Amino acid sequence: MPTSCEMGSGMKRRDILMAAGAVGAGMVVPDAWAFERVGDRRMLVFSGGQPVPVLDPHVRYDWSTRMMQQSVYDALAKYVGNPAKVIPWLAERWETSADGLVWTFHLVGNAKFHNGDPVDAEAVRFSYERAIKLNKGVAWMLKAYLDPANIVAVDARTVRITLSQPYGAFLSFIPLWYIVNPKQVTANAVGDDYGQKFLTDGDAGSGPFRIKRWDGQAVMALDAVADYWKGWPMADADRPAGVIYRVVREPAPRKAALQRGEVDMVTEMTPDDYDQLAKMPGIVVTDDVGMTPFTIQMNTQKGPTADLNFRKALAYAFDYDALIQIENGAAVLMDSPFPNAMTGHVAIKDFPRRNLDKAREYLAKTPYAKGGIELDYTYVAGLEVERRIGLALLESLQALNIKINVVAQPWPTLVGRGAKPETASDLVAVYVTPVSPDPDVLAAQYASTAAGQFWAMHQLNDKQLDEMVAAARLENDPAKRLAAYAAIQQRIVDLQPCIFGMLENRKWAMKSYVKGFEYCPVRLTGEADLYAVHA
Amino acid sequence: MLRWVAARLALLGLMLGGLVVITFVVSNITPSDPAALAAGPDATRDMIETVRREYGLDRPLPEQFLRYVTDLAQFRMGRAVQTGNQVSDDLARYFPATMELVLLATMLSVLLGVPLGILGAVRRNQGLDHAVRILAVSGVALPAFWAALLLQLVFSVYLGWLPTSGQLSVATAPPVPISGMILLDALIAGELGVFREAWSYAVLPAFVLALPSIAAIVRVCRAEMIEVLGADHVTAARAHGVSGGRVVFWLALKNAMLPTLAMIGLRLGWTLGSSFLVETVFDWPGIGLYAVSSAIASDFKPVMGVTLCIGVTFMLSNLLIDLAYGWLDPRTRSA
Repeated sequence: MPTSCEMGSGMKRRDILMAAGAVGAGMVVPDAWAFERVGDRRMLVFSGGQPVPVLDPHVRYDWSTRMMQQSVYDALAKYVGNPAKVIPWLAERWETSADGLVWTFHLVGNAKFHNGDPVDAEAVRFSYERAIKLNKGVAWMLKAYLDPANIVAVDARTVRITLSQPYGAFLSFIPLWYIVNPKQVTANAVGDDYGQKFLTDGDAGSGPFRIKRWDGQAVMALDAVADYWKGWPMADADRPAGVIYRVVREPAPRKAALQRGEVDMVTEMTPDDYDQLAKMPGIVVTDDVGMTPFTIQMNTQKGPTADLNFRKALAYAFDYDALIQIENGAAVLMDSPFPNAMTGHVAIKDFPRRNLDKAREYLAKTPYAKGGIELDYTYVAGLEVERRIGLALLESLQALNIKINVVAQPWPTLVGRGAKPETASDLVAVYVTPVSPDPDVLAAQYASTAAGQFWAMHQLNDKQLDEMVAAARLENDPAKRLAAYAAIQQRIVDLQPCIFGMLENRKWAMKSYVKGFEYCPVRLTGEADLYAVHA
Repeated sequence: MLRWVAARLALLGLMLGGLVVITFVVSNITPSDPAALAAGPDATRDMIETVRREYGLDRPLPEQFLRYVTDLAQFRMGRAVQTGNQVSDDLARYFPATMELVLLATMLSVLLGVPLGILGAVRRNQGLDHAVRILAVSGVALPAFWAALLLQLVFSVYLGWLPTSGQLSVATAPPVPISGMILLDALIAGELGVFREAWSYAVLPAFVLALPSIAAIVRVCRAEMIEVLGADHVTAARAHGVSGGRVVFWLALKNAMLPTLAMIGLRLGWTLGSSFLVETVFDWPGIGLYAVSSAIASDFKPVMGVTLCIGVTFMLSNLLIDLAYGWLDPRTRSA
């Protein structure tokens, strides 16, 4: 009679074979994901961690959404280059009245939507009106200055926009207002939704790509429009068949996908990942000074940080060099509240750097001269760089006998709590990318009207600064405008609502065969202009 | 029996009501503002109010709850703020992908768990048994997130055998949706190439999702097999010269399978609930990923919808197990 051991031996072989078969069947795989092609043309695959739930250009924007919007839609003008400049696009030229109130845009004659309809002045009027009336997404940029009744299609190729008051930043927003096809939007409107449902994943654009397949949570495939009205920047043989944006939420699989050639370009990696990728053969990592200030915002309305001298003490105690170390050298320290690439940026004299004597001097003027207090430093859960900055802050403030609690919070919670001074953290780590290089965008973040927004969790409320920001916004003379913003920068530093940290370098990692990538600092974090990129 | 079933169904209704209340309350006490997040980072206060009004978030909480319950009674779950879609439509779109993964994981856990449990019992306290027990402990102890990343590194980056994430190559057109499960739809359509490719994408996430279930099934199956193999009737069978294979498969396994089957049923609900992390790491477009994306945006209607969906599935699977037990063993009906 066989023993149980002998029976087990027989079963072992069989079971192991079964198990191996079950798993192994999945390992015989095709090499279909090596490089995407359509016919003899390549499909460029870009990967980031952020989905695109809504493509509608008048409803929403963030870096991934805008990247796809700019691929499918055109605007009157476009941002290119470093430093960023506005160049004509659907508008071949424009002029403005001496008082800066009336803007006249002259459209190119050959632009057409993907369905063949011409892009005319009525389309521009309709799109601007739609953006304002929906009161979502980009509306905040111009709605205070733009009455839909004052947007007039003079003729098929001329649009006249009359502002309710001069606005120096007006032109800087024009590249972000995309033009949709009114006929398609109207035809697909459901009730009074102004075509929102249709444009969630529908295509009513005239851009270089048209939608082929859309799953905003996972994969978005766009076909290149072969006869794009603007033409293509590369030789016809190099023109890609299209682009694919693939959402891979975690950096580790995204990195693996690039290594394996499943994707051609990636963004949103950690500094260490970028360093490792840069050392790998066949992979190139770009490295450019960014336009996204990293600041530690201090609650100016509650707790010890409501005291200006206390805020100054923290600003002088912080070890700024730690920021550069954390970023593996890929960052520059801020020397103004405005990023370097912003119009009107000036380096502020005696900008706070670590100086413990000065820090103690300021601290001595507060009720906390001997320290002995605890502050919360809150950062977005999962952002390793912010966590490490918190540790650097903790170490820096030990010299003042101030204890830091490093607190991770999900982004919605952090923003929700930061909406009110009573619930906002003492110190909050925040990256803010300005949507345009116009200084008004940054200056407005320190006006009292901004308090409670995620980029203004410092809750600053200074009447003098409010007046300066309002006056600069209406100034039409370029020289006077620059002077006004220089004074604003100084005033912000005097009030020290933040520990002004660094400008993190912007990086993208890509296969070495990827060509045509051009960095433009005004684009949002991971956003790339896919129009020019090819392999 | 009927009274007992009715009591169980009434209890199910009560639990469902509790689940609705809990998900609604938890979703609304978090200090975040879905309207502000949906309106965008630079939105002015009146823009945020526009979104708030559009989605009824400006109404008092009791009114919002009443509307939510009324919607639920009509199998609607409100609109997702992020996408503007009806949550029920989104769930119908994403649920098949999750079920595909869960069914694959369950299949893997049975195919691996039962044989390994038998092996462990038959070769008790030997090297193989120790290995099986280590696997069983590891399956429970290893965080799915970590196991997923590790397996991606080994099988995708180092060995290059499997793709890292997703459900299908971006250049491959998915089969015409019938069930919504790509593997099944590919088979129905006779697209074997697509099936093969989809299988290569599914095997890693399914295996990671199956790990805790494999561990649980191995432990139960091994323990039951050991108990049955030591029973008098098995010893008697051996004494009468019944072959080893027949003893294990016909006498022992048959008896040991009842608790194992119960465990498999229980794990189905757990596996569904565990899909969040696995779907996130592998970017598997199911309800777990949908819920995580929505939670990040504080869009709670989808989160509540997914919670209810998983909760109901879990309750139903438990109910079926209860009913099966009650049918098989009338003594449990009094419990």
